[in-house]
This record gives sequence, C-alpha cells and structure tokens, in this order.
Amino acid sequence: MKIDIKQITEGEESINIRYRDPNPTVGRIISLLRGEENRIWGRTEEGSVCFSADEILFLESVDDRLYAYTSDKVVRIDGTLSSFMNENGDEIFFRCSKSVVVNVNRVMSLKSLSSNRIDATMEGGEHIIISRRYASEFRRFLKGDR
Amino acid sequence: MKSKNRLTLWERYLTREIGIEFKACLYFFAILFFYCIYRMLQDSFDAEIIHMAEMIVTCYIIGYIQVYLFDNFDEADSLGLKECIGVVVCTVLYCLVSYFGGWFGKNMIVTLILAAYILITYICVFIIYRSKRRIDDKKLNEELQIFQTEHGKK
Repeated sequence: MKIDIKQITEGEESINIRYRDPNPTVGRIISLLRGEENRIWGRTEEGSVCFSADEILFLESVDDRLYAYTSDKVVRIDGTLSSFMNENGDEIFFRCSKSVVVNVNRVMSLKSLSSNRIDATMEGGEHIIISRRYASEFRRFLKGDR
Repeated sequence: MKSKNRLTLWERYLTREIGIEFKACLYFFAILFFYCIYRMLQDSFDAEIIHMAEMIVTCYIIGYIQVYLFDNFDEADSLGLKECIGVVVCTVLYCLVSYFGGWFGKNMIVTLILAAYILITYICVFIIYRSKRRIDDKKLNEELQIFQTEHGKK
C-alpha cells in the first residue's frame, strides 16, 4: 500500500483513503479516524465485517489463526490472543486457557467442576472449561482482585 | 503475558499432593474408627500400633491409586462406569490388606462389613464434594452477577 504523507502550513487538514475492496487494515484505520477504537474488523466467508468488542462471546486461537465468536457469526481477525488483550484491555476479557479468551460479560452461568475447574456457559450455549491452572485467577478476576 | 497469579507446575503438583495427604487422613480416620469399634466389641481397649501404621500406609498408596489411576473418583462430577470400577478396586484393596494384615483377626464376615463400610464412606464423600460444588456454584454466579453489573453488561 502506498502511503503519501504531506505536511501543510495552512488550510484544512484532511485524510484521503483510497482502496479497492474493504479489508480489515483499511477498516481499522477508518475506525481509528472516526474515534471507534473499540470496533474490530475481521473476515467471514461473506467478506469483511466490523463489530464491537462487546459482541464477542469468546476468542479462540487455532493453528496461529484467531477467531472471534459472536452470537451469530465466526470472524477471523488479525493478531494473536496476547495482542488482542493488549489492544482491548483485560477489564471484561479473561484468558482462560492457552488458546481461549472469554468475554466475562457474555457468560450466562458458571458451574464448579471437580479438580477445581469451572464450566462457563456462554450466551450462545457454548461451554468453555476454565482449567484448574486458570480457575484461581478467574475467581480473583471476578472479585476484581488481581 | 505471564501472570504471577497463575499456578505454576510446582504449585499444581503441590496442590495435588496435599489433596492426597488429606484423602489419606480422611480414610485413615474412617478405617481407624471402624477398627476401634471392632476392638471394643471384642472387649479390648487396645489398638495395635503396627495395624495403625499399615492402615496409614495403605491409605496413602490407595490415595495415589485413586488420584493417578482412577481420576479422583470420590471428587468426580458424576458416578460413571470408570468411577464405579475405581470404588470397587479400592474397596477390594482395602479388604485384601486388612485381611492379610490381620486387622480383624482374618474374619471374613468383618472383612465383608468393612467392604460395605468403605463403599458407604466413598458414597458419602462423593455426596459431600458434590454438595460443596453446588454451594460454590451459587457463590460463583453471585460474583458473576456483581461483576457484570459493575462492568456495565449490555
């Protein structure tokens, strides 16, 4: 992509974006300019989509690809789980295993399992198991104590 | 980004070992109670130290078998085939050691009563752990609701 940056001394500041097809990179730039930093761009089979981070139920990393699951779609997004956590903060997102991050605001109910594991039922009905390794931290996370 | 709050491998191992230690003590006291009742019914108010030593060692070994071979069946979420096999195998092991160790004078009837007693103990422990988890469910869901209220769930 060609980047043309010019400094001006007078006149109105402006930014022109020229693209052939909408794509996640262009989408992120547009979101940033519109002050919609909490919007996430990704790809589905139908094409590029933009959605709010609050809509995500959970994220899963599969073979170095990151997928966001919302109530009605699965979206492939750029980056890694760690970069997602860095960009979107860890206020409502909790990393519950090496490959899954869960949106705690979208958890419908929790169930205590044997061996100190926790079963989180998401709004879409999916069950995410929080392993023993992450369960203690999750309990502290719920109490806002970490 | 590694969190300092996450359990390390060593801490997880230690937690499991403490669990086995607790299990061994629990079943040791249950069997010791049965043994004391048996001795009292025999008009004896003495307990053999060697029997008690055998009991605690047996409880430790069976604790390891329970945790590492039978997936901690007394703390399982439900009693399936694997858990039932675990219960039976461990009960048989306790009975064999008690019989050959002469804890109950190699009396077959007392050994059979011991088997029934251990089975009941396992079932009671299973129910206690399940009740504990149900109470924990309520607590977790209360905390979840508070979290979601505080973090402005839409």
